[in-house]
Amino acid sequence: MASVELHDVRKVYGGSITAIHGVDVEIPDGEFVVLVGPSGCGKSTLLRMIAGLEDITGGEVRIGAKRVNELPAKDRDIAMVFQSYALYPHMTVRENMGFSLRLRKAPKDEIDRGVANAAQILGLTPYLDRLPRHLSGGQRQRVAMGRAIVRNPQVFLFDEPLSNLDAKLRVQMRTELKALHQRLKTTSIYVTHDQVEAMTLADRIVVLHDGKVEQIGAPLDLYDRPANQFVAGFIGSPAMNFLGGTVRRSNGAAAVAMVDGTRLPLPAGAKGGDGQQVVYGVRPEHLALGDSGMGFPLVVSVVEPTGADTLVFGTVGGSEVCAVFDERHAFKPGETVHLAPKGDRVHVFNADDGAAL
Amino acid sequence: MTAVTMDVAAAPPRKRMSEEKFWAIVLIAPYVVVFALFVVYPVLYGFWLGSSANSFKKLFQDPIFVTTLWNTAIFVLVAVNLKMLVALGLSAFFILEYRWVRWLSVIFIIAWAMPSIPTILSVRWMFNPEWGLVNNLLFKWFQIEGPGWLTERHYGLTLAILMHIWKSLPFWTLILVAARLAIPRDLYESADVDGATRWQRFRFITWPAMRAPYMTSVLLSSIWTLGDFNSVYLLTGGGPNDSTQVLATLGVRYLRIDQIDVGMAAVICALPAILPMVFFLMKRLSRVDEQ
Repeated sequence: MASVELHDVRKVYGGSITAIHGVDVEIPDGEFVVLVGPSGCGKSTLLRMIAGLEDITGGEVRIGAKRVNELPAKDRDIAMVFQSYALYPHMTVRENMGFSLRLRKAPKDEIDRGVANAAQILGLTPYLDRLPRHLSGGQRQRVAMGRAIVRNPQVFLFDEPLSNLDAKLRVQMRTELKALHQRLKTTSIYVTHDQVEAMTLADRIVVLHDGKVEQIGAPLDLYDRPANQFVAGFIGSPAMNFLGGTVRRSNGAAAVAMVDGTRLPLPAGAKGGDGQQVVYGVRPEHLALGDSGMGFPLVVSVVEPTGADTLVFGTVGGSEVCAVFDERHAFKPGETVHLAPKGDRVHVFNADDGAAL
Repeated sequence: MTAVTMDVAAAPPRKRMSEEKFWAIVLIAPYVVVFALFVVYPVLYGFWLGSSANSFKKLFQDPIFVTTLWNTAIFVLVAVNLKMLVALGLSAFFILEYRWVRWLSVIFIIAWAMPSIPTILSVRWMFNPEWGLVNNLLFKWFQIEGPGWLTERHYGLTLAILMHIWKSLPFWTLILVAARLAIPRDLYESADVDGATRWQRFRFITWPAMRAPYMTSVLLSSIWTLGDFNSVYLLTGGGPNDSTQVLATLGVRYLRIDQIDVGMAAVICALPAILPMVFFLMKRLSRVDEQ
């Protein structure tokens, strides 16, 4: 096992297209870090640079104490799980899992032991003599992980390993992955665009956007204290509501006034000077029903009961807003209800650059 | 209603052709007629012509027949294997993602796209022992008296093999390029992470994926090579002294009105080689379908 350090890592394609703009991340030994971001944010490129499958234009990648920029993939002592699983179609599960050891000319009994051990951990023992095409999606995914485990590498790299599975299996494999990491404690770097996967698996999350790191932190830190509007909108589902307006302070009370005059109450201690243009952010699950004297009015358009909770969509001052309630409500479209943020769970962002105030 | 039903039940069941079946037969009939007239009849007629023991006797008595069998074996074995191995190697080059490789592949394809006859005749002209370009240059640059490229058996057969390879190499390279492109790139990346060398990448990923298309190509190419008339006939004409004849050209050599049966017998001689290949080819292709 080893730490992984990225220092000012950059990737430029064809001399002009910058995919990664100077990323700095330090991942201590044994940590599970998730790189998350929308499509095209550079997360897979960054992972492939760590793996040695992509050249590093600038900066430094260190695995353990060693700089690996110039090392080929095979000498970096990493194992990678691909989105497509990349199982060798002509080899049985056993051969697939033992392939890296075979290439290293490990003794046969060592390969057998390694494969048997990984197969037992992953429940693959009955399938060892099957070809990948005779396995289900979930089983193939396990073989891909088994192949990584057998190598006993310093670092596991996962490139969206669950995105080819159906929703139910994805949740199951997610739990298995977490259990596996708790058991093996190998440093892991995991790429996904699914923020729920990121929140549930990670010790720490790196949020990437347009090749830049937006924020690094523990999942709940990102949820509670997003550094900017992008992170706030990306982390959490349904996404945070954003309403633009101007801060108005008078007699110790503060609110954000929208263009149509709707006033959004700010908690005591909220930042933003009188007259400042801001974006008011509040998560759907942090909205509660209030009476007409407080909060702000929502004109209901759609109500979605999921059983566990109720999602209410509507508009506030012309902007789309979603609210989630634990209780069941049967609002009618066109009805006006009053919403108020719970406690001080309101975020205020600078309207110019989106930074949290 | 009841009366009608009773009627039908009482009458003996008469098989009436469904409309679908009728149209199927109508639409397929012209093809069946053409096929019978221009494929089945000539083939059977040829068999009939060449099937008498006498024609085979005449054929086997001809001293050039044994040489022809040898030439054919050498021609097919060397041409097919050399061509396919080179095509396998070249296919690795032509999948490189450089713009100049793309352009080069276009130029490379031209050899295959050019019509055979003028191409082979121009090569024949180039290798003319007396006034051909090659021997002229050999003499001009190295003061070497060039060999009789087309007037000596070994040179002639070698040139015919090279001619055949040059002409059909682009096609088979293209087929194998397609086979290579079908291999997911992830597999190579996974092998890189696993620590595979170049040779191991080929052995464990490329070859297992290409084995089936490669073997199918070898079979198909063997059948076509066995029937390659142009490369030999237009280059050496089967000469000198019929020493470079192959079965495809020998049949034509006998094509005189009094020897047409021997010509057919020569063509029939290729069947023991062709039929098993066709059989295996069909078997392979149907297995691909099942998968």
